Amino acid sequence: MTNNAIIEVTNMRKSFGKLEVLKDVSFRIAPSEVVAVIGPSGSGKSTMLRSLAHLEEVNGGSIRIGNEELVHNGVYPSGGKIKEITSRMGMVFQHFNLFPHLTVRANLELAPKLMKKYSAEEIRSKASSLLEKVGLQDKGDVYPSNLSGGQKQRVAIARALMMSPEIMLFDEPTSALDPELTGEVLQVMRQLADEQMTMIVVTHEMSFAREVADRVMFMADGEFIESGTPEQLFGSPQHERTKAFLNRVL
Amino acid sequence: MSLDYLWDITGPMLEGARTTILLFFLAILTSIPLGFVFTLMVKSRVKPLAWIANVYIYVMRGTPLLLQMLFFCFGLPVIPVIGEYLVMDRFAAACLAFTLNYAAYFAEIFRGGLLAIDKGQYEAAQVLGLGRWHTMTRIILPQMFRIALPAVSNEAITLVKDTALLYAVAVPELLHFAQTAVNRDFTIMPFVVAGVIYLAMTLVLTFFFKMLERKFKFD
Ligand SMILES: Nc1ncnc2c1ncn2[C@@H]1O[C@H](COP(=O)(O)OP(=O)(O)OP(=O)(O)O)[C@@H](O)[C@H]1O
Ligand SMILES: [Mg+2]
Repeated sequence: MTNNAIIEVTNMRKSFGKLEVLKDVSFRIAPSEVVAVIGPSGSGKSTMLRSLAHLEEVNGGSIRIGNEELVHNGVYPSGGKIKEITSRMGMVFQHFNLFPHLTVRANLELAPKLMKKYSAEEIRSKASSLLEKVGLQDKGDVYPSNLSGGQKQRVAIARALMMSPEIMLFDEPTSALDPELTGEVLQVMRQLADEQMTMIVVTHEMSFAREVADRVMFMADGEFIESGTPEQLFGSPQHERTKAFLNRVL
Repeated sequence: MSLDYLWDITGPMLEGARTTILLFFLAILTSIPLGFVFTLMVKSRVKPLAWIANVYIYVMRGTPLLLQMLFFCFGLPVIPVIGEYLVMDRFAAACLAFTLNYAAYFAEIFRGGLLAIDKGQYEAAQVLGLGRWHTMTRIILPQMFRIALPAVSNEAITLVKDTALLYAVAVPELLHFAQTAVNRDFTIMPFVVAGVIYLAMTLVLTFFFKMLERKFKFD
């Protein structure tokens, strides 16, 4: 993995007031790579992911997406430029964040319609095929409040895919779900991985990390401690903290 | 107590109710948008705007509506020098007081609605690429109005009853005609009839808002 990385983060730092949440975070993601990020609560995993999507502004370091820099040494470009760069990423949240006042179909179609990204006809058929892809073709006219958690999360994934992102960011997509509902969401994510989507997945699902991820990165106290293939990281972790964490969760 | 008598006193009261209803519609149709403007000001990043709106809301909610109405009807005209230019028709002055007063309450109701919206809604909109305008108009405001609906309904019903304050500035409305009839005929019936008319108006409003709530239930 050299400079064809689709995401390159260098020396990213982020503090909330006095609290230093990300300390010198650097990593690269190759196109089509599926990376699972694991680590204890409060270690900064969400903050790292949110910084990529520009939901947080970092205090230092650089983030390159494709050939463009979302932030260079802590300095951001204009708002328009930021929007253009972040539009290459879709994001899925732990609590779905569906729009409750819109039907499932309207949730999917709103952003591409407003952005005039495609023609109305294309948007309709894209929404239909994505709903089918996540197994919810019969739920288009339903409001989110009538869906189960697993169905909501699948809608959220389909909604993100409507904008044709090259990269998908997932922040604990199954943590708010009843255990019996995680499978249907992981299944959709597995399918995306098979289709060569570049994915960063912050997760507590070690089995998903093990089976689907190309690489697992372990974060603790605002730093990536170690990263490797699932076999390496789960089979022979190098660092004490990784071992201690895995002992607790496995 | 004959039906004829009831009919005789009801006529003028219904006539008076027209003033009541007119004040109601003028006040509600102006105070809701104005209240929303104050909500935006309170939320504004321009600190002086937020400050002005907060002081405004504090003053309007912290003093009696009756005082505000008397202020506009009888207070403004006695201000030295400029007072003579501030003389208004009493009904107009009362409308102004109602609008300005209720706007403060609606501003707080809408602000409460905004507070109830999860920040995840803004974030979802942002990662989908929606700008500030679309996020506000398509995501936040529809939800805000839905959340605010029961409180708005409550406020509208209070407004119907508050119109009786017109009595204090001698603008003839429903209550005025009831009181006149009671004094004239020494019977309590006009008050009962007035009560029934108020109830009829609030009933219509209650149904109207229930219908709105059903329509915007989102399930
Ligand atoms: N907006 C914020 N303001 C202040 N502190 C914050 C904010 N967001 C996160 N933090 C703090 O930053 C630290 C890292 O939070 P973060 O959410 O990134 O952790 P995480 O690894 O995602 O944890 P979890 O597994 O519980 O989701 C925590 O101590 C958290 O309290
Ligand atoms: Mg988190």
